[in-house]
Amino acid sequence: MKTFEENWTAWLDGQLSGRELSEFEASLPDKAAAEAEKADTRKLGALLKSELGAPALTNEEFFSHQLRERIMRESSVPSVKREGKASTWWTIPRLLWTGTASLAVFVIFTVFVIRDKNPAEESQYLTQILNARVDPVVSPNATVSMFEVKQDRVTVLWTEGLQSLPADYAAK
Amino acid sequence: MGRSLAFLIPFVSLIAGVVSGGQAAETVWSGLVIAENVAQPQAVPPELTRIEGSLKKFFGYNQFQVIGQSQKTLKTGQEDWLATSKFFGLHVDAQGESKAGYVLSLKLYKEKELLLETDAKLSKRSPLVIKGPQVGSGQLLLVLVIQ
Repeated sequence: MKTFEENWTAWLDGQLSGRELSEFEASLPDKAAAEAEKADTRKLGALLKSELGAPALTNEEFFSHQLRERIMRESSVPSVKREGKASTWWTIPRLLWTGTASLAVFVIFTVFVIRDKNPAEESQYLTQILNARVDPVVSPNATVSMFEVKQDRVTVLWTEGLQSLPADYAAK
Repeated sequence: MGRSLAFLIPFVSLIAGVVSGGQAAETVWSGLVIAENVAQPQAVPPELTRIEGSLKKFFGYNQFQVIGQSQKTLKTGQEDWLATSKFFGLHVDAQGESKAGYVLSLKLYKEKELLLETDAKLSKRSPLVIKGPQVGSGQLLLVLVIQ
């Protein structure tokens, strides 16, 4: 069941017909006033349609409009990229310098700091005598001893009792 | 950018050189030295300058003369060589490289007679001195240094 307002709107738009139309017009208290209002509404509608309608574009204008939009779209993308590039701190020279500086710090730390931090390991940097022997037939009373002088970083193998030789043996 | 690179490349090369420097081939100097006390001592040979003070302190002589020597550049750490004088010969047989230096097998000969035999781990920063036989009024010393 339609309300009065729905029937009124449909009547103004000329949508009612047949029995619905006759019943609605019979229910109107003042049919002449209603007819006048219907005529005014149609005039207003026609006026609005003619004045506020979107202007139709010609082919030329439509093409220009499309072109302008495309140019705007394309020119806006690289500018965003350019802004992105300019704003980063990590340029290639800076990356190179940072890498080099890091490497230098690593080398300094490795070569100088770590090596000097382990004095306990210094003994392995002194020459070590693993074993020594003299021919017991040639030098039966010979003895060998060894010592390291850490201050001078010299290792000495000391022999005693080797066969003495004449000065001629000092020849080059 | 160009100027930065010109500065950067030698700098990086220098660092790379320092890093890889520990693995470069090294030269071992082996010398037969006669230590004596004389009135007018001659200058110490350049190979012994580094340990001149130690030699004088330990052995009590004022002159050190090289009567035989050899300089060997080690590449594999497995080389062997001979340092000779007229009567003495020092045979050195390198038997491998370690972090600290080279393992060497040393044999001192008087002509063809083996006088002394020793194995040592020669450090890159620490010379080895061996006291040999008395020769006349002096002393035969064997010195090994990584240069």
